[in-house]
Amino acid sequence: MALDLGMPILVVDDYQTMVRIIRNLLKQLGFEEVDDASDGTAALARLKNRKYGLVISDWNMEPMTGYELLRHVRADEALRTTPFIMVTAESKTENVIAAKKAGVNNYIVKPFNAATLKSKIEAVCGA
Amino acid sequence: MALANRARKANAAPEKPSLVRELVEIADYIAHLRTEIAALRANELTRDRLPMAHEELGCVVAATAGATNTIMNAAEEILGLPDDRNYRPAVEARMNDIFEACTFQDITGQRITKVVDALRQLESRLSRFAAAVKARDEGGIDPEEVERRVRNELLILNGPQVNGPATAQDEIDAMFA
Repeated sequence: MALDLGMPILVVDDYQTMVRIIRNLLKQLGFEEVDDASDGTAALARLKNRKYGLVISDWNMEPMTGYELLRHVRADEALRTTPFIMVTAESKTENVIAAKKAGVNNYIVKPFNAATLKSKIEAVCGA
Repeated sequence: MALANRARKANAAPEKPSLVRELVEIADYIAHLRTEIAALRANELTRDRLPMAHEELGCVVAATAGATNTIMNAAEEILGLPDDRNYRPAVEARMNDIFEACTFQDITGQRITKVVDALRQLESRLSRFAAAVKARDEGGIDPEEVERRVRNELLILNGPQVNGPATAQDEIDAMFA
């Protein structure tokens, strides 16, 4: 299945430079519809208002972390099937296992490169 | 000190009462404590060293943010350049912007060294003071610290590892295969 380059993607990170980096990488991959939010709470508000084809989220944010956002998304009937990739510096095995148990579709540790992001998006969204 | 000396002179006899002897010891201890507090130079730390460290770290944050912005701007501009005969000189101009932005590292390195020196000095003075007064930490943990630890544990907030990722991307990929 080919990637839907028109699908809206939500990038969640409290570090604006990281949002900018991911936005640029996504643009290079052909994705133009990219929104962002600075934490889980802001992301949930956006998710209620627009249907996203993918959420790319950091873990460590205030007040709501990416892990809490993931659990909220998976507990919400309308959002539970939204593909979710965690992009984070939280690299301990316990983090990866917890995220997987909570229903994350893939997991990228920072720092990462364009090829890794591309392969995970393809794995999660089909290609 | 003067009080202790007066007490010593007034009670030089070996049969001096134990209450006076204890008062002399307390006076000696207070004099010792005052010397150690003076050696701590707490006023200098709070007036000069700690505000300097705060200011230097603020400058480091501002410099790294500024450099990152310059580099990101240059990279984004390069990506948006038209593929014409001006492409190479335009890229070279932006590459020079990137080189210039990278000079922040030298200056921030010097700033961080100053902060590290200040912290080292603070650590050494506090250690000396704690040893001199035989200070012991109060039992239990600061409530704010308890709250922070509970949150970190519940939300599995470990933060970045010192020597790079604890789990390699390949190992993570294997868990999702």
